[in-house]
Amino acid sequence: MAALVKIFLFPGLLFLSAYGLCLEFLDRKLYARLQNRIGPPWYQPLADLLKLVGKETIVPKDAKEKRFRILPMVSLTCVVTAFLYVPAAGVGASASFAGDLIIVLYLSMVPALVAFLAGWYSRSVFATIGCTRTLTQLFSYEAPLFLSLLAPAVLAESWSVTDIGAFYRANPALELLNIPAFLVAMTAVQGKLERVPFDQSEAETEIASGVYVEYSGRLLAVFRLTSDCEMVLMLSLISAVFLPFATGNAPVDFLLYVVKTCVLLALLSLVRAAMGRLRIEQATAFLWKTVTPVALAEMLFVILMRRGLGL
Amino acid sequence: MERENEVVAAFVAAFPWLDGRIRSPRKKRIFTDPVTREEFNRLVPFALGQGFRRVTHVVGTDDGDSLGFLYVFSDGGGVLLALHESAPKSNPVIDSLTPRFPGLEWHERELVDLYGADVRGLPPGPRYPLPDGWPAGNYPMRKEWDPKRFNRKTMTYEAEPPAAAAGSEAKHEER
Amino acid sequence: MKNDKLVTIPIGPEHPALDEPASFTVTLDGEKVVDVVVGVGYNHRGLEKACESRTYAQDLFLVERVCGICSHTHSTAYCQGLEELAGVEISRRAKYIRVLVSELERLHSHLLWLGVAGHEIGFDTLFMCTWRDRERVLDVLAEAGGNRVNYGVNAIGGVRRDIDPELETRIRSMTDVLEKEIDYYLELAMTDSVLAARFKGVGVLPRADAEKFGVVGPVARADGIADDVRVVEPYAAYDELKVNQVTDDHCDVFGRTIVRIKELQESLRVIRACLDGMPEGPLKVNVPRRIPKGEVISRTEAPRGENIQYIRSNGTDIPDRIRVRAPSEANWHGMKRMMQGAYLADVPIIVAANDPCYSCTDRAVVVRGAGGRRAMDWEELRAYGVEWYRGRGADISRVEEKLK
Repeated sequence: MAALVKIFLFPGLLFLSAYGLCLEFLDRKLYARLQNRIGPPWYQPLADLLKLVGKETIVPKDAKEKRFRILPMVSLTCVVTAFLYVPAAGVGASASFAGDLIIVLYLSMVPALVAFLAGWYSRSVFATIGCTRTLTQLFSYEAPLFLSLLAPAVLAESWSVTDIGAFYRANPALELLNIPAFLVAMTAVQGKLERVPFDQSEAETEIASGVYVEYSGRLLAVFRLTSDCEMVLMLSLISAVFLPFATGNAPVDFLLYVVKTCVLLALLSLVRAAMGRLRIEQATAFLWKTVTPVALAEMLFVILMRRGLGL
Repeated sequence: MERENEVVAAFVAAFPWLDGRIRSPRKKRIFTDPVTREEFNRLVPFALGQGFRRVTHVVGTDDGDSLGFLYVFSDGGGVLLALHESAPKSNPVIDSLTPRFPGLEWHERELVDLYGADVRGLPPGPRYPLPDGWPAGNYPMRKEWDPKRFNRKTMTYEAEPPAAAAGSEAKHEER
Repeated sequence: MKNDKLVTIPIGPEHPALDEPASFTVTLDGEKVVDVVVGVGYNHRGLEKACESRTYAQDLFLVERVCGICSHTHSTAYCQGLEELAGVEISRRAKYIRVLVSELERLHSHLLWLGVAGHEIGFDTLFMCTWRDRERVLDVLAEAGGNRVNYGVNAIGGVRRDIDPELETRIRSMTDVLEKEIDYYLELAMTDSVLAARFKGVGVLPRADAEKFGVVGPVARADGIADDVRVVEPYAAYDELKVNQVTDDHCDVFGRTIVRIKELQESLRVIRACLDGMPEGPLKVNVPRRIPKGEVISRTEAPRGENIQYIRSNGTDIPDRIRVRAPSEANWHGMKRMMQGAYLADVPIIVAANDPCYSCTDRAVVVRGAGGRRAMDWEELRAYGVEWYRGRGADISRVEEKLK
């Protein structure tokens, strides 16, 4: 019974979706204010979702219908499952075991693969170009992201998100060694969430939304909800690994969690507002030639520290 | 007016038959009277030699029994030279200048579509500006082509002007 | 991705990158453009025929509407041409007002362009900021002419509307605000790394090709070709208000950006000079209804480049021939050359950097349905649309009734 509540209500599906919509609102509002605009009202993301659900769902004649329809659900399911292992909302993770960090990272990669398949099965020219870009992007940002999250794990000598958090709560000073990894994670996550400057796979002005171009109605609603949930997942993961500080007092921790994720979101929104979109090969070059070496260096540094500190 | 007069004099010196048929009515402008296709083809390289290195556009005109093609040359310093090539409506054949001025392609295609000119030497390409289903033999910019007689539903040119349509067209113009 | 097979994608006639219909059928090898077929049809073809059955006074309204954004330059060229044919000299005040509105138009057009360029590369912040500034200009234009676009300031023989002291103050305060913003945009263009990455080396048109294809306007000036009509053949009050034309030698989208932003700065200067030196005088002089027989070629500098019009009169009050060559017409061939070898991601910005002005076209629509092809005109298309929505529970057929 308790498990069902955790999975579906709090901090599971319901909380995840609701908080996802809140973060989407914050992102859009901040983005708008940075552009000297007013921005949407607080209920806008929910309204958009409901509107999409109410629209007709069109499946292109050439698309493989069953796969076309099921892909959004696969994507959402993986994100929700991954979230089970991330400490969030001031309460611990709903489940944890040694090595769950890898599971979380793996499951968080599924939406990108689903995007590729969605574009592929749409059988539309724009979608095909979009899905190639999605894969190219996948190979560019996943490496630095993985490395940047694994470095603190190596230092903490644990592959479990919950244990990593516990380690740094016990040794807060060591968290400072992870600052480069934090910067890499924040850069790479912008790519993972497909936001400017790394949103080539969805470039509206070039390929008219790329992979999602043929999706509509309920299916598109699920995709959009998934990207909101993915945002919560990644921000929660980053704050759980890099900013795991808590007081032990549940309501205060909840507030702390909100503050942490909102601050991280604000940083991402700032980047989104201040930059234009790069070309795919420019983004790839940047991520591989600049960001990944930093992540690798951090990894090496952390391994050396481990040996050196003899902890 | 110095440059303009110089140009006119140079043209007349090189082509005596142009005397009286080329004039500079105001500064920065030189116009010619209608010349034939052969005459025009000789004038073009001479114009280039006089420094008129760019053709801004081509104006197609309906001169009654003949079609006119004004090629407007520019020398970059503000002087425009308009060479008025003429060809009979029954056989409006002219030569394309696209080999030397590729930017004229669409201007010349327009002459083909709207005036029914036969421009020899145009590179292959889609028609412009009329849509693909446009009925052959209809050249809208010729004076005798009456837009009121063109039935857009059937894409055909009616033999007789429709009487009822005339009334609603007049209303449309009043608005 | 299969590299042995080339992919052809249609950009247009409906595409988020284009604000108006045109079709670029792009053949790609991976992300590189191998070939592009450009398809456009302009409104002013039908316009030219329409002009031949209306009086000069009526045609003024038609010519102005060739384009929404450079409407004033079209009507200026038209009026100038007629005034020349009629042998009429307009008052100095009218000339100054024409220049003032011209420069205001250049401001809002270039700001629009800057925003669109930003949007094409996904830099929406630039888009929003420039369009916010553009609103200030449009407010002034609305006050000066009564409309945000197609301001109808020109009349044959002068101008229709005056600039009163209150409007002058508003224009001056607008230029003060805009000056700071535009200086910032120039700094942004010069220093921002994403703009540099997306604009430099993109859409390159070597100078020799620019001359061969006869491109005009900021595209030509970014190649170092000094073709600004305001300098080459000063019209209206540009003989008194000297313009410093802007050239650059980057030959790419970056160069075109720099040229346009610097032209914004120059426009502000000219507007201030115009207000400072505004002479007194009548707004309009009389021009006879029947224009004497003759032919004339009139040129103005639209925001997009050289706008050139040919007018032939036959002594009546109805023109014999009006040919409007908008600047964008000259730039299409150069655009195709720019796209060869470019990346797909660059196609929208290359198209946009030419700042093409399409104007919609009253064409037939070809519907490729299951049963072959059918051509629809606007009535049929509207009926089709109404039926389509009705089947989905929305009855829009009553809308026109309510409007009547």
